[in-house]
Amino acid sequence: MSDLFVALTPPNLLACFIGTVLGTVVGVLPGLGPAAAMALVLPLTIKLGPTAGLIMLAGIYYGAMYGGSTTSILVNVPGEAASVVTTIDGYRLARKGRAGAALAVAAIASFVAGTFSVVALQVAAPLVARAALAFGPAEYFAFALLGVVLLANLTGGSRVKSLAMVVLGLMLSTVGMDPLGGSVRFTFDLAGAQAGLSFVAVTAGLFGVAEVLATMAEPGAAAPVARVRFRELYPSRVELRRSVPPMLRGTVLGFLVGLIPGPAATIASFVSYGVEKRVSKHRGELGTGAIEGVAGPEAANNAAAGGGMIPLLSLGLPFTPSTAVLLSGMLLMNVTPGPFLLRDHPQVFWGVIGSFYVGNVMLLVLNLPLVGVFARVATIPPRYLMPGVLVLCVVAAYADNNNLFDVWVVVGAGIIGWAMRGARLQPRAARARAGAGPGPRAVALAGAHDRARRDQRVVGLRTGRGHARGGGRRLRRSGRLGSGPPVRHRTGVERRHR
Amino acid sequence: MGRERWGAIGLALLAIGYLLAGRRYPLDTLATPGPGIVPLASGLALLALAVWLFAVAGRVGATRISNRPPTERPGRADPATTSGLFETGAAPTRPIQWSALIMAGALVLYAALLPRLGFLASSWALVVVSSRLMGLEGWWRPAVLALGVTGVAYLLFARWLGVPLP
Repeated sequence: MSDLFVALTPPNLLACFIGTVLGTVVGVLPGLGPAAAMALVLPLTIKLGPTAGLIMLAGIYYGAMYGGSTTSILVNVPGEAASVVTTIDGYRLARKGRAGAALAVAAIASFVAGTFSVVALQVAAPLVARAALAFGPAEYFAFALLGVVLLANLTGGSRVKSLAMVVLGLMLSTVGMDPLGGSVRFTFDLAGAQAGLSFVAVTAGLFGVAEVLATMAEPGAAAPVARVRFRELYPSRVELRRSVPPMLRGTVLGFLVGLIPGPAATIASFVSYGVEKRVSKHRGELGTGAIEGVAGPEAANNAAAGGGMIPLLSLGLPFTPSTAVLLSGMLLMNVTPGPFLLRDHPQVFWGVIGSFYVGNVMLLVLNLPLVGVFARVATIPPRYLMPGVLVLCVVAAYADNNNLFDVWVVVGAGIIGWAMRGARLQPRAARARAGAGPGPRAVALAGAHDRARRDQRVVGLRTGRGHARGGGRRLRRSGRLGSGPPVRHRTGVERRHR
Repeated sequence: MGRERWGAIGLALLAIGYLLAGRRYPLDTLATPGPGIVPLASGLALLALAVWLFAVAGRVGATRISNRPPTERPGRADPATTSGLFETGAAPTRPIQWSALIMAGALVLYAALLPRLGFLASSWALVVVSSRLMGLEGWWRPAVLALGVTGVAYLLFARWLGVPLP
């Protein structure tokens, strides 16, 4: 346990600082996710040695969860898949002049959830990881079905419309190579489509480009955001008090979801939002700019990021692309995660866990003062801001896979997203200049959900999981778990699903 | 016919096209499903939902929304509320959205020209066009704005993050 203080040595503190800053920047920028950023700095971290290197990689991972909400709140473009839900109320809060409050609550919720998940990680890692191992194919299917049902109920308004958009999202996710069977579907001989439709491109189009087109179509409808005084940038006492219950609920839910295979942070955020819609005292305000809609999902996605570390550190099982890159980093540094990690590399194990505490404090200290700076972005007139959003969307879509086909996808998704507003494929409450509504959101989430589920199954099959219940346990007993080669996804998959 | 019904027709046509395109993929058996099974199931589901949407369009939504308790209604600042949309379900009469249509065309042109002109030139032109359509007057200010936006994006993504922009 004394090895926990390894994180406080100057080189490790510096590595943690660089990792968290880089993670925040990556989270803020749509397109480049933590998995891709971690892969980019992997050669550098190897030179730093296992403890500092892994601390930096982990810093990028949870730093991105902090930063992901910024563009969701300010310009309605989610920085991360896990921040899509935050756009619902976050962007509306920004339009009301409460961007600062939303950003601050997002940072505080991330801190609370991140710290809780580290404590839980430290205490309960071996126990809960065993429970997660009991998941077999039937549980995977039930989990996927739960996600779809939640999506249809989450988005608000007409359930039929939401369900139609969820199905449309599932249809979009069938484009490209099926990761299980290897067959290529609906590509119409376009080479760029073989990797499938990029989630980043679809999201950037449906949210960002469609927003720009809608603003152009109805320039008068975009109500100017009121300039607020500095002290009003931060949440009021009432807003803070209202944030506490969803923050706590989101933390517990997110942590539990993080233990389950799949796109945990994304699912955790919309499970949290769904729960708030049922139990919150202010559930009637959700969807119109309620602080609960930011606090719950932001806490959930950060807690899920912490929860996802348990199966990685305890069993050597990466359940998300980001943890798969982390696993690759560990193996490259001759550190084998799994049951023997604590015995063979106690400094690495406790050093990484200790860095989570330090990193969460660093992120809060970094993010809260920047709230005022970021909040000013929301007050920039659309004629200056929107052209920038347009270029950001295109670059984000391209940077996801360095694929020109994704530029066509972002443009197409943008025009379709705008047409969806016109065709009322979103409930009226969300239509009037409040950003992309539940329709596009359901499409985006369903696509991400299904793709990530299938990619996760590939991870499961390749690591011996998913064949039958208890497969992981048998592997663990036989000593093979975590000692195999790093899990490889096909090109672009890591970057696509964070 | 209202916009919601046109939307439902669009979805139905999409589902039919998707089902036709998916016919080439084998279904195999339920025990060992082939690549055609998910497209068939999701295409049929979308078709059924589109029919449902067409049937209920224009009546269920207005009734349900007007029956909501006051707390569930959007805020006062919401233009849809203030214009009475929630109570009547009436489609707003709007002029043709030429600027958005031109922008959509410009985006298609941008995607086509990006590999030929490169990121810097094509993005500069895109920002100039979009800022003009957004109401930024004159040519100097759009040109300078475009230079700044394109330059920052290039430095951030190409130089710093190493993304090989075209």
